[in-house]
Amino acid sequence: MKTQVVLPNAHIGFGPLRRMLRQRWFLALRAFTLFAAFWWVFFVWNDNPLQLPSPVRVVAALGSLIATGELFEHALISTTRLLTALGIAIALAVPLGFWMGLSRTAEAFIDPLIELLRPISGIAWLPLALFIFGVGNTLPVFIMVYVGFFPILMNTMAGVRQIDPKLIAAAATMGVGRRALLLHVLVPAALPTVMVGIRLAFAASWAAIVAAELIGAPSGLGFAIEWYRQLLMTPKVYAFILIIGVVGYLCDLGLRALQHVMTPWSEGTGLQ
Amino acid sequence: MNNGIDTSPRWSRAARGAALPLVLLVTWQVWALSLPTGSPAPAPLRVLKAAVELITTGGLLDALAQSLGRVLIGFAAALVLGIVLGVLMGSSRAVRDNLDPIVESFRPIAPMAILPIAILWFGTGTPSALAIVTYAAFFPVLVNTVHGVTRVDRKLVLAAQTMGVSRLSILIRVVLPGALPSIVLGSRLAMGVAWTAIIAAELAVGAKSGGGGSGGIGQMMFVFYAYSIDLNAIVVCMIMVGVVALLIDRLFRWLEPRLIPWKQ
Repeated sequence: MKTQVVLPNAHIGFGPLRRMLRQRWFLALRAFTLFAAFWWVFFVWNDNPLQLPSPVRVVAALGSLIATGELFEHALISTTRLLTALGIAIALAVPLGFWMGLSRTAEAFIDPLIELLRPISGIAWLPLALFIFGVGNTLPVFIMVYVGFFPILMNTMAGVRQIDPKLIAAAATMGVGRRALLLHVLVPAALPTVMVGIRLAFAASWAAIVAAELIGAPSGLGFAIEWYRQLLMTPKVYAFILIIGVVGYLCDLGLRALQHVMTPWSEGTGLQ
Repeated sequence: MNNGIDTSPRWSRAARGAALPLVLLVTWQVWALSLPTGSPAPAPLRVLKAAVELITTGGLLDALAQSLGRVLIGFAAALVLGIVLGVLMGSSRAVRDNLDPIVESFRPIAPMAILPIAILWFGTGTPSALAIVTYAAFFPVLVNTVHGVTRVDRKLVLAAQTMGVSRLSILIRVVLPGALPSIVLGSRLAMGVAWTAIIAAELAVGAKSGGGGSGGIGQMMFVFYAYSIDLNAIVVCMIMVGVVALLIDRLFRWLEPRLIPWKQ
């Protein structure tokens, strides 16, 4: 509810330099420069490089991790686990969500079980899963499948439920078969909501992978930060934390792009 | 589709809902009975027995209270920080422009990722756990406060200004009530992630400090995993974690209409 249009920094006026000063990237750059400056001041004041290294050292550590390929290696392992887990979660939750969304009977039987399990966070499964799977690849994938399953299921159900019954009635009137109804009416109508569920699942899985790898995997980004903490190589700890943020951000960008490509009809519906 | 509203009686719905969990429980129990004696595999009846023992003598409730206490302190800190910063960012363009890129780049960093740093800074005790809970709960509160404050009807603020209301009064009587629904929503989300984060923090601190005492339900689970290998007790802890999460969520849903009666 804006009654007047206030340009940011309107007092600066126009012109190429002025215009640049209003750009998003410039604002971000300025924010990060300020952040680095504060960091540096705090580093000097704190005077304990084991707790807080200087930003320069962290950038150097990042550079060496990239040069040796170590960073890429751990990031690749974590991302592969994440994608595997998301794939499994989608394969399980989307069909189940469709079934529960379409059939009241299926919902009546399955929903209470889901609601019993859902409050138990994925993290709480760690000790039991550690006992069952041991330290390795399976544990983080299991935790992430569990964590990603619920948002996808909930959103698929919601997506199927909110399909306009008139669309289905219209298709039925025109003698469309069950298979065609599913493929051409139900799936396209529910897909935007499903995609939102997948993005939520990704965010939850990415938060869980760090915990799972930190405790129960011999590789991956979560493992790497804890490993370097034990070695007291703090700049590398910070570098890896930075990378967890960057990879998480990039994956979300990728999913948004996928959402854009797969469901162009959902633009501007508030689901983006 | 949406055309069939369930008109069957309550008991019939309850029976259908209980069917699958019961079948699974019985299958689980039968499977456990078929195992050789002395197997550590958990079984429903043994879990029940472990639950009674843990509650009466095992200090389960103490551990839960300790974890909940940490969550509440961390949550309170996050609430104060998130609301103050959120109101600043929501009402001042300059603050928002400068802080938004930083906030957005920290947001994808999972709470558990800062655990190693928390250990370096605060050691393996309660302060580390508190730092992680605060970090986890901070972002939902902040983001929702900013969203709520920017969505406050500008006409209300202008009207108050016209009538010569002071800035502080506008903040307290116009902006905060206007943003409250969003803040309450953020708080509910924050409490949910805070509860998950405390389990993770206690578990990981336990795992990485060789069981060194930090207490709490997460630590308790780790001890059952690493030292006494009592899977039944671990399942009891998992169920308790779920029960508490459910209670927290219900509490907030009960509070919501009472805190913001004007929003229906």
